[in-house]
Amino acid sequence: MRTIKLIWNYLRIGIANQLQYRVNFFTQLLTSFISLGTGLIGLALVFNYTTSLGGWTQPELLTIMGVYTLMGGVIQAVIQPNMERLLQDVEEGTLDFALTKPVDGQVIVSIRELSFWQLEDVIVGLVVIGISLGQMHTQLGLLPALAFVGALLMGGVMIYCFWMAVTTSAFWLIRIDEVFNLFQGLYAAGRWPVSIYPTWLRVGLTFLVPVAFAVTIPAEALTARLTPWTLAGEAALTVVFLVLTRVIWRVGIRHYSGASA
Amino acid sequence: MRRLFDYYLTNMRISIQEQFQYRASNYFFMIGMIAEPVIYLVVWTTLAENQGGVIGGYTAGSIAAYYIVWTLVRNMNLGQSPFGWERRIQHGRLGMELMRPLHPVHGDISFFAGWKMVMILMWLPLAAALVLIFKPTLNPTWLQIVVFAIAIWGAYLIRALSLALLGMISFWTTRVSAIYNLFFALELILSGRLVPMTFMPLWVQKAAYFFPFQSSFYFPINALVGQPTPIELFSGLLFQLFWIAGGVLLLNVVWHFGIRRFSSVGN
Amino acid sequence: MSAIISVDKLSKHYKVPVREAGLKASFKSLFKRQVNIVKAVDEISFSIEPGEVVGFLGPNGAGKTTTLKMLSGLLYPTSGAVSVLDYEPSKRKAVFLQQITLVMGNRSQLSWDLPALDSFELQRAIYQIPADQFKKTRDEFIELLELQDKIKKPVRNLSLGERMKVEFVAALLHRPKVLFLDEPTIGLDVTMQRRIRFFISEYNHRFGATVLLTSHYMADVEALCKRVIVIHNGKLLFDGQLSALVDQFSAFKTIHVTTSGFASWSQYGQVLDQDAGHVSLRVPREKTAEITSRILNEQAVEDLTVDAPPIEDVIDKVFSQKKAEDKAA
Repeated sequence: MRTIKLIWNYLRIGIANQLQYRVNFFTQLLTSFISLGTGLIGLALVFNYTTSLGGWTQPELLTIMGVYTLMGGVIQAVIQPNMERLLQDVEEGTLDFALTKPVDGQVIVSIRELSFWQLEDVIVGLVVIGISLGQMHTQLGLLPALAFVGALLMGGVMIYCFWMAVTTSAFWLIRIDEVFNLFQGLYAAGRWPVSIYPTWLRVGLTFLVPVAFAVTIPAEALTARLTPWTLAGEAALTVVFLVLTRVIWRVGIRHYSGASA
Repeated sequence: MRRLFDYYLTNMRISIQEQFQYRASNYFFMIGMIAEPVIYLVVWTTLAENQGGVIGGYTAGSIAAYYIVWTLVRNMNLGQSPFGWERRIQHGRLGMELMRPLHPVHGDISFFAGWKMVMILMWLPLAAALVLIFKPTLNPTWLQIVVFAIAIWGAYLIRALSLALLGMISFWTTRVSAIYNLFFALELILSGRLVPMTFMPLWVQKAAYFFPFQSSFYFPINALVGQPTPIELFSGLLFQLFWIAGGVLLLNVVWHFGIRRFSSVGN
Repeated sequence: MSAIISVDKLSKHYKVPVREAGLKASFKSLFKRQVNIVKAVDEISFSIEPGEVVGFLGPNGAGKTTTLKMLSGLLYPTSGAVSVLDYEPSKRKAVFLQQITLVMGNRSQLSWDLPALDSFELQRAIYQIPADQFKKTRDEFIELLELQDKIKKPVRNLSLGERMKVEFVAALLHRPKVLFLDEPTIGLDVTMQRRIRFFISEYNHRFGATVLLTSHYMADVEALCKRVIVIHNGKLLFDGQLSALVDQFSAFKTIHVTTSGFASWSQYGQVLDQDAGHVSLRVPREKTAEITSRILNEQAVEDLTVDAPPIEDVIDKVFSQKKAEDKAA
């Protein structure tokens, strides 16, 4: 339908335009490797002292890092640029343009930006996942692979919902550039399986900032930990998140337009 | 000199007022920043407990103390981002600031110093919460506390100077993000931000002395949390002084050449 | 014919926090927030027929942009009724949005990094413009504004004037029936202003669109708008023909005389300017004809022209008059 065609147009044009900056391919690659490097150093330090953490073995922890990198790439390529632009629009008054279009405002502000070269992290993440699965001699069956993809998609959607809801708070608070820092910090918790965190933190990382769904759960799909119940529960939660985000957006727009509450 | 002092005071005061306005913003920032050390804290206390209580000379309790003090020191380490310098230089804003009779670095340092004061105030309740949750062990001597109070400001100056120097690379090239990322990655490992330096292999610990990173991070934290001897405390402060002096010297040199280039290239 | 835009007792009030400078006040504001109510728009009413080009005049902060935003659905009115194309703008129905456009002179809706051509493509997708109509309209506009070699460059590399032209093309590709233009020529040089005005006027003639325009530049209003609405402090001061505005609020005309004679010119009126061979006099409007014939009879006149005062002066007068009235009240 119309929205899909619109997404396709934004993608097509965005990619074509960014593809010409080939140097960015290399700078992004360097950045990806540096991140990977520091992550591996962190892992190595931990491996010095133990062979398992929170019930996850060394190669399994590597899998988590791969999923973390992959999802990080998706977030930085597709979600973050849109949220940053939305924030900028609110601060500079250019949001008005998005709101006077005959396409739903939330759709427009969620799909129009793309940071193409960040997708390299998706590749890097997949490679790390591949290596870790190789170390465990896992043959990934079709069902777990599908579950993995499904979990990734739902995790991604939930992260979008969280970001969207928080960025919408800019309608009230105006200066929330720092919220992106907040998110970077919390997302970093995804490097490790959420089971190691104290209960209260684990709950926060699951239901508040859905890092668990973005990283740990897809990794569980790959390491034979994921149950169909968890997946079904995640699907239900994704719907809840989407509805909540929509409500928050509507309320935010009403506030922005000065409607009496 | 008197004028400089006056400027610092005024700028700091304005900065404090401004930061009071952006309370939500500041809290978001600090809470986000706390996430990182909490993660490290959880991972390492888990490991310490599994290993029978001690890693690298730290108990689970002192690891908790390390990372909680970390949150304050980390905040003291923040200053004008080198990306901010890139924007200034590349987008011509520097031209405006050069018209003023005062070096822009003074503006940055005094502005952020004022901010630090508000931030320390806002940090206290957060620290209290962290203490309640993670129950650290902390028994510093009076000397340690005094040295710590001085060291955090020394740390701020060292980092502010480093960031300014990094930022000035923009005088010569636009492709700076890769350089910055490399710097921050090195710093992450060699400063004590990732883990206390004693967790690192010996050769890394030795190598760290050649960089200013641990002077602005590990040293102040360890001064309060660890069991350093008075000699170690004073030599640490001396090291800070050394890095600050070196930084100021280097800053003047780089600035001189940078401005030459800026004026000739024009922007 | 029924009005395409109708506004009845429209109001918009804001609550604005108030704070004094200084450290102590900052602390206080943590606990107690002081609030003022600002009446940005105060019960204005008017209606506009299809095809009209109407200018909104007023000093900064008068409420022009706020009114425009309520008409385009961006702001909810505090009270009153507003209807555009028979829709309630704040409901923001897609059908309604499909037929309007908003252009803001100091803000751009285009992506900085994309060439304009790509932004046009995106507009096509957003407004679902049929391909052949899109091509035709786009090429027509590009030709009209002479943009052929500008549309492939990233927008950030264009000059201000070129950006504005491209902005207009993007805003009008979907052939909207109602145009809301907020300071469209601000910051542009004189030539560019003329080009943009010409384009707007062409569009209005070609497609019979209704245009609402706010501007500081009298030249915009004089060139494009037969009808003006003057807003001040949120209230509607005047709604009618521009010429009537001049007549109503300017009591004077200016007579410029080129002469070789020496005379005491102050007997005819207030001397505004005098040097060798030229005199400018200000005379009451209703006496203009009489004084002119006296001068022609009594003096050695080489040339004589009669000017209405510049419209800026008129508007200025309207506002200072209103200010004085408000102060007295």
